[in-house]
Amino acid sequence: MTTSLTDCVLALYEEHHELEEYQSGMPRWCNGCGDNAILTAVQRLCRDAELRPEKTVFVSGIGCSSRFPHYMKTYGFHSIHGRALPIAEGVKLARPDLHVFVNTGDGDCCSIGAAHWIHAIRYNMNMTVILHDNQIYGLTKKQASPTSPLGTRSNTTPRGSYLEALNPLTVTLGVQNVSFVAQVVDWIPDLVFDVLSAAYRHQGFSFVRVIQRCPEFQPGLHEIAMREPNRVQVLTHPRGLQLDPSLERVYKNRLEHDPSDLSRARDIASSTDAIPVGILYWNPEVPRYEQIRAPSQLRTPDKIRAGLEAELDKYTIWPDGPTATT
Amino acid sequence: MLKQLECSRAIAEVIARCRPEVVCAYPITPQTHIVEGLSELVRDGTLAPCEYINVESETSALSVALGASAAGARAYTATASQGLLHMAEVVYNVSGLGLPVVMTLGNRAVGAPINIWNDHSDAMALKDAGWIQLFARDAQEAVDLHVLAFRLAEELSCPVMVCVDGFVLTHSVEPLDVPAQDDVDAFLPPYRPVQVLDPTDPVSIGAMVGPEAFTEVRYLAHHKQLQALERIPQLAADFRARFGRDSGALLHGYRTGDADTIVVAMGSVTGTIEVAIDELRDAGLAVGAVALCAFRPFPLAALAGALGGAQRVVVVERNLAPGLGGAMASNVRMALRGQPIPVYTAIAGLGGRPVTRASLRRLIEAAHADAVDDLTFVDLDNDAIDRELARWDERRRSGPSAENMLRDARRAR
Ligand SMILES: Cc1ncc(C[n+]2csc(CCOP(=O)(O)OP(=O)(O)O)c2C)c(N)n1
Ligand code: SF4
Ligand SMILES: [Mg+2]
Repeated sequence: MTTSLTDCVLALYEEHHELEEYQSGMPRWCNGCGDNAILTAVQRLCRDAELRPEKTVFVSGIGCSSRFPHYMKTYGFHSIHGRALPIAEGVKLARPDLHVFVNTGDGDCCSIGAAHWIHAIRYNMNMTVILHDNQIYGLTKKQASPTSPLGTRSNTTPRGSYLEALNPLTVTLGVQNVSFVAQVVDWIPDLVFDVLSAAYRHQGFSFVRVIQRCPEFQPGLHEIAMREPNRVQVLTHPRGLQLDPSLERVYKNRLEHDPSDLSRARDIASSTDAIPVGILYWNPEVPRYEQIRAPSQLRTPDKIRAGLEAELDKYTIWPDGPTATT
Repeated sequence: MLKQLECSRAIAEVIARCRPEVVCAYPITPQTHIVEGLSELVRDGTLAPCEYINVESETSALSVALGASAAGARAYTATASQGLLHMAEVVYNVSGLGLPVVMTLGNRAVGAPINIWNDHSDAMALKDAGWIQLFARDAQEAVDLHVLAFRLAEELSCPVMVCVDGFVLTHSVEPLDVPAQDDVDAFLPPYRPVQVLDPTDPVSIGAMVGPEAFTEVRYLAHHKQLQALERIPQLAADFRARFGRDSGALLHGYRTGDADTIVVAMGSVTGTIEVAIDELRDAGLAVGAVALCAFRPFPLAALAGALGGAQRVVVVERNLAPGLGGAMASNVRMALRGQPIPVYTAIAGLGGRPVTRASLRRLIEAAHADAVDDLTFVDLDNDAIDRELARWDERRRSGPSAENMLRDARRAR
């Protein structure tokens, strides 16, 4: 693995931020909305992984969940419905040094953005993608989404939806170059944190589906799973997730699953017995698009000097305005 | 029969009475209540036979309508703003193929910045896509225009977009008459498609046409619009005869007879304009108004006639064509070509900013005295703009303007 110039420059000084330094504004989500839990876990992740706010960007589409970037004191981009992934790809291409996160809803990703989703998996650029799956279109006030369970009554499906829900895990696991797939439920905050941390650490396209409660338009959908911990099956493995002893007592339904086993991952993703939670698939060997396009070059002194200058230029402030330099 | 109804609900009910066989939509504010209403009417059997499908995007919505229409079904969809732009490629295709799809557009601003409120940027972005565009001035006309739209579309094999101001009209609740089923059936005959799937005469749709015939095929789109210019007033007269009210027209004139100054506008703002005109008339000013109902085809001759004796024209428009002014005013000027009178453009009500009677009065009074610029922005906060421009000058990296101006507006409050 090569170390980027940015990393070299940043390694010259250390920085640690408190939780509050990643927080921005009062979230405008409903009480009990699962997006709040995701936000908390992500802010914790940023603090613990010591992400520099100026090196971190959250890109979202449109939806309740896509308000996420407004609540992070990092760079943020609340963009166009369905387009979060290709926009994030653009950001990554222009600034490979940034930590790129994507927040996308089940409508945003699995309906209108579905074509981008498939191709983003295949590009396998280094970014952490959080699918906020509340199984409904929240922002537009309760219309069935592709992940709504069969029979969901909504404003566009008054007698219940007709189709089996699309399974974002099996879809993702079916695409060429898939490299990291995980699932978690918003009501186990420590696991949200653990899974997102693993996703962040993975070098490549990390896809995390968070089953997210929407008490406003999908009330009670996960009531039983919340009451009966055995409805959640935690996937553990020495190379995957290891459950904290405090959670072990509650979550007894556990399955040892080697995350490098793609075909077993697909089986687990398709099973309907319990909600699998943890890392389904992890393959650090899949080449990333940015690696393929920019193989590590021989570092001559000239190249290093030019690179350093470009790096420092990112922080340049022109005291007399742009005309002074152009 | 008048019923207290939300306009969107009434539109859903009237669409159901037009008996579409395929309805497809992807939800977007402020269109949602229309398609939610329709899904309910399909589920409870009020609208049958009909297939209602929730698709995964607007491009799919109009593509499904296109396929259904090509296969001989009466097809309907509805959208707004970003949704219309999402389906843009298919919008051109539907008209290019001469398919009589009817679409409701809940007019909404187009981002960025993100805005869900009313203006006409969406309709203007696709004004030249070959669709007929009708603008409703009030909720009742919004309902009625749909009946007219299906008949017009199917007579001419040309798609029709019914433009209804988002929120201002779509979400207004008032006593509305939904045309009765018998009357709709009498006005709108069953759909007889010009092309059907016929095993004895199989066709392929979607020819590749080179320079040898492309202009001629495109000309036909223009020809249909010219036909629509004739048919719209006739259909409006038919409609009046059956339903007893004036809905649909090329344009509606208001106190234009002896007016020296005439205001031209489209959509719900025309109601406020008429009130302002009444007040100014009371104050002794010879002013009048024209509400355009048809924007495509653009009624050049009818408008020239309505503006006949005016000394000046003020076009109040809810859209901005950056680098030009307004999309409407340039069309109005075309109607007045050869006449040396000023046509003032007033950009108003972008992104849902209310267009108040007081502002309109000020504008019309000033224009009546020829004391306005060619292009004015009604209620523009010049100070806020100056402050942002100063930030641009001060700092190369002044940041995104929308965010800056929001912060600035909060501070000013
Ligand atoms: C092109 C386009 N079509 C439709 C919309 C309207 N719209 C906004 S958000 C949304 C769906 C939101 O659902 P989801 O992605 O699941 O996010 P949630 O609100 O549930 O978090 C829709 C249909 C839009 N903004 N743009
Ligand atoms: S509508 Fe649902 S998803 Fe949206 S903020 Fe409320 S609870 Fe959350
Ligand atoms: Mg959702």
